[in-house]
Amino acid sequence: MTIVPARTVEIRIERTIPAPRNEVFDAWLDPNIPGSPWHEHEELIVTAKAGGLWYWRSLGGTPHYGRFIEILAPARLRHSWMSPNTLGLETMVTVTFQSRGDGTLLTLLHSGLPADEPARAHEKGWNAIFGRFGNIFTGAADKGGCTP
Amino acid sequence: MDHLSDVLTAISHPTRRAIIGQLAKGPARFSDVAAPFDTALNAVTKHLKLLERAGLIERRKQGREVFISFRPEPLREVAGWVKDYERFWTQHLDRFERYFADKNEKKAKGK
Repeated sequence: MTIVPARTVEIRIERTIPAPRNEVFDAWLDPNIPGSPWHEHEELIVTAKAGGLWYWRSLGGTPHYGRFIEILAPARLRHSWMSPNTLGLETMVTVTFQSRGDGTLLTLLHSGLPADEPARAHEKGWNAIFGRFGNIFTGAADKGGCTP
Repeated sequence: MDHLSDVLTAISHPTRRAIIGQLAKGPARFSDVAAPFDTALNAVTKHLKLLERAGLIERRKQGREVFISFRPEPLREVAGWVKDYERFWTQHLDRFERYFADKNEKKAKGK
């Protein structure tokens, strides 16, 4: 079941990286490079091609997964991004690499993130409902509270 | 882009966060805001425009002087997961940038 939040937000971050863009592009997809989205993992699958799946369980144990939509070396890549924190929404990460002198302007756009408060209110509501629903089967007393 | 996205964009840059930190101590003139930074004045102006669009600063005329002050209200909107994601990407990009900066430094020393 997907919880549709009242609205979504996007995060946009620009950063100038002191290296040529083909090198920066390749490093972004390399899980061995510090700062790559897939660096430091407990479990990892990265199939870097359009339609390819990625799955990354971070050191804290949070699962993240998605599919590559577009890999246009060395200019742009797009992939979906799901985790418990996106509340079932398929959020989208777009990274562009533009040459700037000897360096590269990296722009990261993470869109479709659930806006915090409405989404949380939804989740609280669903948790309360599912909590009670689960209690029917476990035989636990219904205290009517929400799971944290 | 909605307002929350404007706020997230505004706080996603280390220079803008430093400006907020400085203005949180009290209102200041443009020249005081620009003084600690090693960037061109028009770059500082651009940063201030983004902060203003997010509602994080306001300008007030006092006589012939213009004072810039910090408004904390929009930061209250930025809570929980979205802020966690903003921090997540910022930390990743910090590490990524540092990796290349260190690599360049090693290369320069090796020459």
